[in-house]
Amino acid sequence: MKITALLVMKWQGDSIDPVILANACDVSQFGYFQRSGAKEFIVFVGRTVAKRTPPAQRQSVQHQEYKVHSYNRNGLCALGFMDDNYPVRSAFSLLNKVLEEYQKNFGDSWRNAQADVTQPWPYLNEALTKFQDPAEADKLLKIQRDLDETKIILHMTIDSVLARGEKLDSLVEKSSDLSMASQISHTQMIYIQKKIINCL
Amino acid sequence: MSMKSAQSSYRDRTQEFLNVAERLKKSFSSAAPNAASSSVAKPDGTRSSLAIQKEFKDRASRIGYGIHQTSQKLAKLAKLAKRTSVFDDPTMEIQELTAVVKQDITALNAAVVDLQLLCNSQNESGNISSDTTSHSTTVVDDLKNRLMSATKEFKDVLTMRTENLKVHENRRQLFSSNASKESTNPFVRQRPLAAKSTATVSSSPPPWANESSSSSPLFPRKQGNVESQPLLQQQQQQQLVPLQDSYMQSRAEALQNVESTIHELSNIFTQLATMVSQQGELAIRIDENMEDTLANVEGAQGQLVRYLNSISSNRWLMIKIFFVLIVFLMIFLFFVA
Repeated sequence: MKITALLVMKWQGDSIDPVILANACDVSQFGYFQRSGAKEFIVFVGRTVAKRTPPAQRQSVQHQEYKVHSYNRNGLCALGFMDDNYPVRSAFSLLNKVLEEYQKNFGDSWRNAQADVTQPWPYLNEALTKFQDPAEADKLLKIQRDLDETKIILHMTIDSVLARGEKLDSLVEKSSDLSMASQISHTQMIYIQKKIINCL
Repeated sequence: MSMKSAQSSYRDRTQEFLNVAERLKKSFSSAAPNAASSSVAKPDGTRSSLAIQKEFKDRASRIGYGIHQTSQKLAKLAKLAKRTSVFDDPTMEIQELTAVVKQDITALNAAVVDLQLLCNSQNESGNISSDTTSHSTTVVDDLKNRLMSATKEFKDVLTMRTENLKVHENRRQLFSSNASKESTNPFVRQRPLAAKSTATVSSSPPPWANESSSSSPLFPRKQGNVESQPLLQQQQQQQLVPLQDSYMQSRAEALQNVESTIHELSNIFTQLATMVSQQGELAIRIDENMEDTLANVEGAQGQLVRYLNSISSNRWLMIKIFFVLIVFLMIFLFFVA
């Protein structure tokens, strides 16, 4: 479950190529010499996919062993290169988040960008590392996971409570036996005492 | 009575008739064969009036018996029609019985009509006394009435049976309407099947083929199956819209899952609470038992202490022991010294 790259592009449905606004790649899995090639490849495929995504649409494209998820929201397009295990929904929620952040940070200045922006955007890099685990990105997944854990814990609790119940049962029995025995011995002693007093 | 009189009158008549026939034979030679035939016919007719009456009676008795049997069958049919329940419906028996009863009734009707014709012809032809005529007419009327009542009963049974059937149908519709509500999903599933089957049936004209090709991707979309879409000439937009749908649907599904998990959790919590409260009761019981035991043991201990006291500080015993010792000393001293 790995994210290989996150891209933010601007594409407004016109004929010009999409313009890269932010780029974060994690190409550590490739060998040293392949890294630049991989980056180029990512940029190219990202541009192609963004071009094919009409505005206000989500799209997932399978490319070799990667899935490219793109989300175009009125001109601002976010792309993610993930492998097949990454759940689609979390991918799109992640892209959503990225777009929101971008909008918060840069406002509308991106609309004027004409050339590829080469400055790294730290948030995107952080996001790339943080969101390797899909649960982080997708709150629903997180909640589901927490609930499942809670359920497991509760099952264990119920088991222990049942064991406690059994122990309490045995205790009840023992205590009732004790009280009966003590009662018997008490009455017997009174009886003997009376006998002795009568004797004397 | 009328039979005897008829017989006696018949007997009388034959002699007279024979005389008349001889006279006629002598007198009319040309009309002799006719007279002979008629005279032959007449004694035959008069002779066969008994036979006719016998026949009449036979037929009447047969008809009466038939009517009786039919009414019995009708009673059986009525019972069957009454007891029809929803499940074991003796439709076959009922239908057979109705057919049989119908046949019987028609046969009896025909027989009664024949009987009536015979009776009429008998009344017209023979010189029979009015008693026999009235007797025969009454018999025929009686049979007719009985047959009419039997047919009326038959009609009533049939109407009852149709009413029962209607009631059963209503009951079945009540149950089946629920079933039809529950089976809307199979209906939704069946509709594509039906559409596909109709599409395959009407395969020759191209517009039908086009329609089927455009409708078949629609139905998979409705079922929310994006990944296994038949990719006939699909434009990208058609693929995007289902992707949006599936995204939303998957979100909705996840939310529902979360909701159900939370429900389960609440269930588990309530169960836990009940169990713990029950066990709290157990703990209280244990506590009571222990207190009882404590009280008993304390009482026993008190008894023992008293016993100990009574044993340890027993003056009487000491005095007794001293007395005994002194007595011994005395005796010892007296005997030795």
